[in-house]
Amino acid sequence: MNKRICFLPRGIVPLLLLLLLSGCGDYRILERMGFTSTVGFDLLPKGEMEITASIPRAEAFTPVKREVLSTVSKSSKEAKIKLGRETNLMIVNGQLRDVLFSDQMAEKGLFEHIDSIRRDTSVSPQIKIVIVNGSAKSLLSKDYKQHPMTDRYIDRLLEKEAVGHLVPKTTLYDFERDYYDDGIDPAVPILKEESDHISVDGIGLFKGGRYVLRIPAKDALIYSFLQGNFKQGEMSLELADKGGGHDMVMFTSLISSKKVKVRQQSGQKLNVSIDVQMKGSIYEYTGNLKLSNDSDRHKLEKQVSDHLNARANQMVKRMQDKEADSLGIGMYVRNGMSYKAWKSMDWSESYAKANIKCNVHFKVKDYGSLQ
Amino acid sequence: MEKTKEKLAPFHVMILIFMTQSGVMAFILPQLLADNFGTNGWASLIGFGLLATLNVALIGLVYKLGKGRSIFVILEQAFPKFLIFPIYVAVASLWTMIGCLAGKEYVMIFQMFAFPTTNPMLFKLVLDVLVFWLLTKGIYNISKAATIFFWLFFWMVFLLFFFYGEFQWARLTPFLFKGGKYEWMKNVDIYSAFLGCELSMLLFSYSNKRTKLIQSTMWANLITTASYVYMAIMLFGIYSLKQLQTKNFPVLDALAYIRFPFVERVENLFYGFFMFSAIFSVLLFVWSAKEMLHQIVPKVRGSAIGFIIMAAAYFIAMIPDILNEVGEWLSILSLIEIGVAFGLPVVLIVVLLIQNNGGKQAYE
Repeated sequence: MNKRICFLPRGIVPLLLLLLLSGCGDYRILERMGFTSTVGFDLLPKGEMEITASIPRAEAFTPVKREVLSTVSKSSKEAKIKLGRETNLMIVNGQLRDVLFSDQMAEKGLFEHIDSIRRDTSVSPQIKIVIVNGSAKSLLSKDYKQHPMTDRYIDRLLEKEAVGHLVPKTTLYDFERDYYDDGIDPAVPILKEESDHISVDGIGLFKGGRYVLRIPAKDALIYSFLQGNFKQGEMSLELADKGGGHDMVMFTSLISSKKVKVRQQSGQKLNVSIDVQMKGSIYEYTGNLKLSNDSDRHKLEKQVSDHLNARANQMVKRMQDKEADSLGIGMYVRNGMSYKAWKSMDWSESYAKANIKCNVHFKVKDYGSLQ
Repeated sequence: MEKTKEKLAPFHVMILIFMTQSGVMAFILPQLLADNFGTNGWASLIGFGLLATLNVALIGLVYKLGKGRSIFVILEQAFPKFLIFPIYVAVASLWTMIGCLAGKEYVMIFQMFAFPTTNPMLFKLVLDVLVFWLLTKGIYNISKAATIFFWLFFWMVFLLFFFYGEFQWARLTPFLFKGGKYEWMKNVDIYSAFLGCELSMLLFSYSNKRTKLIQSTMWANLITTASYVYMAIMLFGIYSLKQLQTKNFPVLDALAYIRFPFVERVENLFYGFFMFSAIFSVLLFVWSAKEMLHQIVPKVRGSAIGFIIMAAAYFIAMIPDILNEVGEWLSILSLIEIGVAFGLPVVLIVVLLIQNNGGKQAYE
């Protein structure tokens, strides 16, 4: 049997090897590659884009930790070629982690740019899409002394905040999925450059591919529990007390689940209710209620629920005004009707007019080590 | 044909047929389903699976009526050789072409991700050498090798667990087959993902009662259908419909999404594992072609025929050098193959019915 394995004459094997080795043209030398880690897009007055790329450098003999290149171009791929002329490294996109767009650019519409990114097979669907409140170039090219290298700083900041549900985890995959779905719109975290650090500035909501509404960072958690179920999260609230002052209450280990109900009677407005059940542990409370007392605790639960309800309803109203359905209410409406009825419906218009009510039910799970 | 008392084992047949059916088409399948049928396009796979089952049932009938005789024996008893040999050559050419183009398509997709400027025929050569070595080992060893290769490939189904977090039933929508752009020819492309089960026709003489050939082929077809359905449901639930329609290789994109805490972008590695399945699709088609041609020139060694077939196919595979062209060629060849897959058993059944009836009359 072994003899028959080599049907090919022995002389052919080295010949084959020779042939295969001759094909080694597609090689990559690690030290000569520039792995773009973060890219920033800014809109210029004439409609062109300024593209900034940050490339970490790992060679022992260069004192710099990263190279920041910038160019003006009409497309991201043209920019790659232009940026290549500025460096001795061969620029590749395989390790791209974050793509930043200036708010001005996002307002004009991002999909065209996202589309060119996603066509590139070397780009991971896990790269994060971010809006910068201000200039992406300025945020990306600055070094923040107290923090790690800017690329890593941005990436870790976003990951950490996404774990706490303070920003949505919006990857290229998420963005294009929600863009293409007719029942939901994308949502993207917003970052802002401060004097010595970068801060999370809220959540940018889209209508199709255009950025239309900013949810401020303080409301981010409310957005998160309306958007989907989650575990892990922190929230601090300022509740008005009877004396005209404010009680501070802070919750941690939040667990939330939501249900969406849709009712529509013919000829009437669409009625949508978003029921949210939340549980959390109290970490800080400055009011007069005694938390170990059941009725006092229920009073606090009601206060918190009412407070969250008011803010949630206000937020949804703003979203309706801008026709941004990032909560995916359209998916629930669509799935409750026939295909024909859904297609004949102008969802943006119906969404703006719909009667959407949020009902948040908050429960205190425990209240720490004090009575 | 190999003269040996060894017969195929049921499990080996099942794996062999499964490995032949599954291949490069699996990458494209969810996009085709979304494009052709629209919402919940995955459900159409059940229909295609049933069609393949019908194909196997026809072959089962041939097996039963012919009492396990090889299809060549049946045909050569019914038709003169000068009539039947050109048909052998035509069918063998078809199978060779399908085999070698499926291999080329695998290589060309691979090159979208790695070594884009290297000559694809170089990779194809490496693949073909491996196929050829397996080919020379005979069907029994091929079937055993398939079992090992099966485990190297099938574990990837479990990678779909990674998507349970992103999966949403709401994304599937309650609508059935809405929003697609139905084209008749795309059905051929979808069905081509099931092609391969018809090759069990050539395994008659390598089987006995204990092989449970038809039953094993049915099982293989069931596993293929079930894994396609599972994969397609997952992809319809993690991608929105229009997004799925825009993707060339949705399964590869989904693989790229997988990220381990210690490494990411491992889709190239995963794609490499698909080679095990791609090889067997190529292998069984080429082996079938070799079996057919061996009937014409029984004195020539099987491995020599195999070498000539593969060399010829290699040169033909040089002609289409664009991924789309390879796809178009494969579509046309699949259409003809569907004709052969259903036509040949029907012809054989007719021949057998005539032979059996004629036999009875003569006997009476």
